[in-house]
Amino acid sequence: MSHSSAQVSQLLPALFRNFDEEQRLCVLHLGPPRQDTLDFFSTRRCRLHIVDLFAELPLPAEQDTSHGLTAHLRELLQFPAATVFDICLFWDLFNYLDATALRALLEILGPCLGASTVAHGFSVHNPRTPEQAMLYGINGADAIGMRSRPAAVPGYSPHSQNRLLELLECFQLERTVLLTDKRLEMLLRARVPQESAPQTRAAQAGAARGRRASA
Amino acid sequence: MIGPSIKIKGEVTGEEDLLIQGKVEGTITLKDQELSVGESGRVTADISARVIKIEGEVTGDTAGSEKVVIARSGNVRGNIVAPRVTLEDGAIFKGSIDMDPGEPAAAKPTLTAQQSANSPVPGLDVKSG
Repeated sequence: MSHSSAQVSQLLPALFRNFDEEQRLCVLHLGPPRQDTLDFFSTRRCRLHIVDLFAELPLPAEQDTSHGLTAHLRELLQFPAATVFDICLFWDLFNYLDATALRALLEILGPCLGASTVAHGFSVHNPRTPEQAMLYGINGADAIGMRSRPAAVPGYSPHSQNRLLELLECFQLERTVLLTDKRLEMLLRARVPQESAPQTRAAQAGAARGRRASA
Repeated sequence: MIGPSIKIKGEVTGEEDLLIQGKVEGTITLKDQELSVGESGRVTADISARVIKIEGEVTGDTAGSEKVVIARSGNVRGNIVAPRVTLEDGAIFKGSIDMDPGEPAAAKPTLTAQQSANSPVPGLDVKSG
């Protein structure tokens, strides 16, 4: 039976606090989009990249030489050159990816993360937390809409909080909120080495051009 | 209307509404008109129109000066540029959506003052392929 509800989010306001109203946002959503999320972002200049990785589960094994895991993910996750996401939405996704898949995903996303990239996600308090199988959307600046998935998603195998943080090498945890159903709401910030941040590379390239022009 | 048995390769332009039930490859430009891709329509093209409604399959970039609607039977792979986009329950979409309200954000509902958390949640299930 489909069940819809909305929950107040303590972390969404912090997610959006990083961006002013006039700033054009680049958002990555790795799940099934809902109309409320589109409506929410449509009030401002925004590019929303949508790839529903849940629809790709179960992912192929890496050793599948015909079309291995990383190759499959790279094919799915093709973004224009110089794309840097401001916001990434990882709602429940990590609960369905094993360590290999998670590392492959983050390796592909790494070049698209900048020093100001923030992410919002849901995971679980501990691996014994039962599956919720929800669809999520943004109802408002501090509200998440939820609805039961119409069909089961294969591969639910959540990581412990500590293990997940180990695996999320290119993100650091800013805040978590333990929800009543033993899920965790997470606010993450990209952990990008200064010398490899896209903005830094762009700034360095600009400075180099400036030096050449003035030489 | 382009009927289910019709196949077109090339450039489609016009100044009237168009329904595609067949196959089109190339580009489709309907300046201020409405384009509908019916359930049997298979389009591999960049599309530009005022209103674009998709019930069939589209691969390509889609620009709607007013809105783009992907119906529950629609399957779209590509990038959408439109001020308003509707994804009906069951629609399949993979790509990016470029939205620009076209006026200062201050004049519109903002990220910090949007819908009530109690507003009804549309029952959508959008899958990508």
